[in-house]
Amino acid sequence: MRLLLALLMTMCVMGTGWAGNLKIYSGAGLIKPMEEFRGNFEKTHDVQLDIHYGSSGELFGLLGMGQTCDVLIPGAAKYTEDAVKNGWIEKGSVHRLVKHIPVIAVPAGNPAGIHALEDLARPGVKLAMGDPKGPAIGRVANKIFKKNGLAKRIKPNVQVLAPTVNQLLIYVALGQVDAALIWGDLVTWAEGKGKLEVVDIPASQNMIKTIPTGVGSSSASPEMAHAFNDYIGSAEGMAIWKKHGFAPCSE
Amino acid sequence: MQRINPFKIILVTISLIVTGILVLAVGSLFLVPTWSDVWTNLFSKEMQFSLQLTLWTGGISASLVLLFALPIGYTLSRFDFPGKGLAKTIMDLPIAFPELVLGLCLLLVFGNTPLGKGLEKLGFQVVFSKTGVVVAQFFTALPYAIRIMKSTFDYVPQRLEFVSRSLGYSSFETFRKVTLPLARNGILAAAVISFARCIGTFGTVLILAGGTYMKTETLPITLYLNMSYGNMGMALTSGVILVLVSFIAIFIVEKTEVGV
Repeated sequence: MRLLLALLMTMCVMGTGWAGNLKIYSGAGLIKPMEEFRGNFEKTHDVQLDIHYGSSGELFGLLGMGQTCDVLIPGAAKYTEDAVKNGWIEKGSVHRLVKHIPVIAVPAGNPAGIHALEDLARPGVKLAMGDPKGPAIGRVANKIFKKNGLAKRIKPNVQVLAPTVNQLLIYVALGQVDAALIWGDLVTWAEGKGKLEVVDIPASQNMIKTIPTGVGSSSASPEMAHAFNDYIGSAEGMAIWKKHGFAPCSE
Repeated sequence: MQRINPFKIILVTISLIVTGILVLAVGSLFLVPTWSDVWTNLFSKEMQFSLQLTLWTGGISASLVLLFALPIGYTLSRFDFPGKGLAKTIMDLPIAFPELVLGLCLLLVFGNTPLGKGLEKLGFQVVFSKTGVVVAQFFTALPYAIRIMKSTFDYVPQRLEFVSRSLGYSSFETFRKVTLPLARNGILAAAVISFARCIGTFGTVLILAGGTYMKTETLPITLYLNMSYGNMGMALTSGVILVLVSFIAIFIVEKTEVGV
């Protein structure tokens, strides 16, 4: 009986611990800067951050299923716009943080000789793509191919549709595919260093996205949520974004 | 009047609480979706594809698993050889490590390597393909089947094998005509568990075969993808099917009365 009581008590204690936490939904590709924000913010504020990393589509799906979050930071502005429309995110709280620039990532040595978007449509080139219904990069890649009239010719080259953007990075770094469209900031990750090379896409062919942030409309601790929402857009926050290869929207 | 035994009460209470939570959890999978929704989803193009792919890859993988688990289980049960302990530990490893790790290991072996390229020349593209689904399922389920087969053979009396040998059967004849029939229930259990394990394999398939929509999409991948698409109906439907298959598998195994 005592054991049961002890069990119940620990559950209660843990329960109260959870109540003071801030629940953050973040795009999986933002994990590096987000972990640094978490460390800094927890030091200066009396709060714990529970960050759930997922594909933008998944985060959006979770909100659609009735889950709530205190702050939402997806991989493209479309998701916060739609979340505001659905009433899940406070309208005035959304601001744009940094640019998310798609690039072509190829394994070290560029074995397939990819130098432009058109090369991806060459027969025999092996491509990995984000699932168009999953991560933001999947949707964007699909649109970039369509915009440049390549969608049809690229289709047979696609070997795999990855459910998250990080999986794309692994497949390119291991040389499993010849190329993939990935966010430019992801390839500055230490993991990718030396394992892959970047081919830039000219601005006229590219679709540059922005990473937004917004506060959940049913946040249990709106003040803390706003504080975090503002912090990641502050000058100090921007320095961290830059360190991880993201360009501020103002530049 | 019987004395109250607090030890017994606590243990029974814990068992009942956990069982209750499990019943609630599995039950809600069946109560939340509307049946007409499940029915429509069941006949959607994606689900039909996923179901068929899961059944035939699971069938092939489970057959291959049995084909290998039989001799390996027998070897581990009957023979002594240098390095046996190590071999046994290594074959058990995949039970202990997460499927994702196993997937990554297989990706490294069958990926952009001489082995992977050699197999590709022979027409077996393992990575990002349906072959990859089978390979992933095979390595995930194999250790379970080996365990069952080993313990099955452990319980087949060696004395009967000796008698068979002394009456003139060769080793192989003894294995085929005496040991195998006695191990029938164990083989059935291994087959059912392997099949259930194969169709439920997630992490290994996700990494090695890519988890691509309508290409390497097995039931657990359908569940995962549709969770991330926010399409709860499809996710629940795949969950229901997977649970039903597991129920049937466990029911059959219980019937065969083999200790697993």
